[in-house]
Amino acid sequence: MPVRTRLVIAFIVVALLSALASSWFHTLIGAYRLPAWLDDVIFGPGWLQRLVHTDPGQAAPHPVRHTALIFFGVAAGLVLAIITTVAIAASRRVLLPVRRLARAAQRMSGGDLSVRIQPRGRDELAQLVTSFNGMAAALEDKVGELEQMAARARQYAGDVSHELRTPLTAMTAVVGILHEHPGLTGDAAEAARLVRQEVQHLNRLVEDLIEISRFDAGTAQLVTDETDVANAVGRCLRARGWSNVCTDVPAGLTARVDRRRFDVVLANLVGNALRHGGPPVTVRAGVQPDGRGGGQLAVEVRDHGDGLVPAAIPHVFDRFFKADTARARSEGSGLGLAIARENARLHGGHIDAGNHPGGGAVFTVNLPLNAPGSL
Amino acid sequence: MATVLLVEDDPAARQGLELALRRLGYAVRAAETGEAALRDFRDAAADVVVLDVMLPGLDGFEVCRRLRRGTDIPVIMLTARGDDLDIVGGLEAGADDYVVKPVEPRVLDARIRAVIRRTGRAGAPAETYGELMIDRGALIVRRAGQDVSLTPTELRLLLVLSGSPRQVFSREQLLDLVWEHDYLGDSRLVDACVQRLRAKIETDTSEPRYIQTVRGFGYRFGPV
Repeated sequence: MPVRTRLVIAFIVVALLSALASSWFHTLIGAYRLPAWLDDVIFGPGWLQRLVHTDPGQAAPHPVRHTALIFFGVAAGLVLAIITTVAIAASRRVLLPVRRLARAAQRMSGGDLSVRIQPRGRDELAQLVTSFNGMAAALEDKVGELEQMAARARQYAGDVSHELRTPLTAMTAVVGILHEHPGLTGDAAEAARLVRQEVQHLNRLVEDLIEISRFDAGTAQLVTDETDVANAVGRCLRARGWSNVCTDVPAGLTARVDRRRFDVVLANLVGNALRHGGPPVTVRAGVQPDGRGGGQLAVEVRDHGDGLVPAAIPHVFDRFFKADTARARSEGSGLGLAIARENARLHGGHIDAGNHPGGGAVFTVNLPLNAPGSL
Repeated sequence: MATVLLVEDDPAARQGLELALRRLGYAVRAAETGEAALRDFRDAAADVVVLDVMLPGLDGFEVCRRLRRGTDIPVIMLTARGDDLDIVGGLEAGADDYVVKPVEPRVLDARIRAVIRRTGRAGAPAETYGELMIDRGALIVRRAGQDVSLTPTELRLLLVLSGSPRQVFSREQLLDLVWEHDYLGDSRLVDACVQRLRAKIETDTSEPRYIQTVRGFGYRFGPV
């Protein structure tokens, strides 16, 4: 039965009940001659007489007064109860599907797109439930499709990178021979140098693409080891010939980290500071209380340049993000900071970017002192 | 001059690596497939095998396993992916080291030199630890009078550890001393090599007597 018919019937029933009740009261009051004091005190002289047909000035007899009053109260309560019950029953029938719908919508907004409601009956609310189910199904399909597309795109990036490695293996192997060849002079030597440089750049790019596709696919693994932080920082800088970077790392500071990944994070942050920031670049490390009685390893890489443009701060970890779109490509792959952030996350930590009050950009890495991992 | 047996199916990569290795002073024998490598292996008289993982037919892991059955020739895996699966698979198959494609010739050169190096100490007297006899001069290891056949890497690991009995070596130190890796070497190389070495010299690998694990730190030799 449609909701509208149900509501109309409910209203008619309520109206009939009240009409019935009022005529019943009328009879009741007439029969038992309600107390005159009601007439005098509450409603003013003459009111009850008009209603109950008592002669003017004549009071109803005493015992009848009380009985009538009780009767009146009970009857009124009974009628009120019946009407309320009818109203609640009618509203529950109407509201129950609405409540189920609200719960389902809540679950859906929480991310559960698989939620469906069993429609009951054939009224407007059942139609609403059916439409809701249809919408949820369409949404689920669409999101599934998008997720698949994203997964395919990531897989594709990974596959392409793998395929590029084979030709790069041959090129990397021989480009040195060409570069060092004494027979090449002038333009030919310059061309050989350029080829070598760009092969190296391509290698880095492919390497980073493969690395990031491993994070996307969720196959990146953490291999942690007890690591002396000062030692790791020093070796990272020495291996890359960055002798102009100042370090301030307390001796004896150790953390359980994946050494290769920690090195990648540090190298990407320092490399980024050297390329885009101003000298001097400093690396500081220490333990920061995490508020739960433990500590976190905090490594801060700071430069003394102009700092980051505030609008760019939320995007510096985006892939291939360039603060200055007009600038030519740098020697980095454009994935360095994105990879650094993924590596920090894999450790259960995070990286924050910002500007130092004294000038220059600051990147702070926070890692748990005891990252989860093998060994 | 050392001879490298290069097993790589991609013609360009094979040719490129061959050129680079020649230029570095190695004699190179190239094979296209795992089957050809196993067939040519004897007359190639190779000192080291550089083995691609992804090969048609027998894959690199299987070739490595078959090589290991008969010889102690050092094997360096050439992994196309640098994926953990490739690395772990190669180490389980008995590879001594691995490099990730595309590899710089100087890196490959350093790795090859490290795995074929047999460093002895001439004139050193043979040492005996329980049933184990180590002769640093002649580079011979015997267990209960029987010669134990070790790959150069396994031998070097044993020599380094037994050179300072009871001293604990971290994986990082061992990577540096035995594999001559830069500081970012893969500590799984050490663990895999220790497993292989234990299988050859220990009576009970679950309760090793010679190569002992010091949890959280690394490994040590003895006390016997």
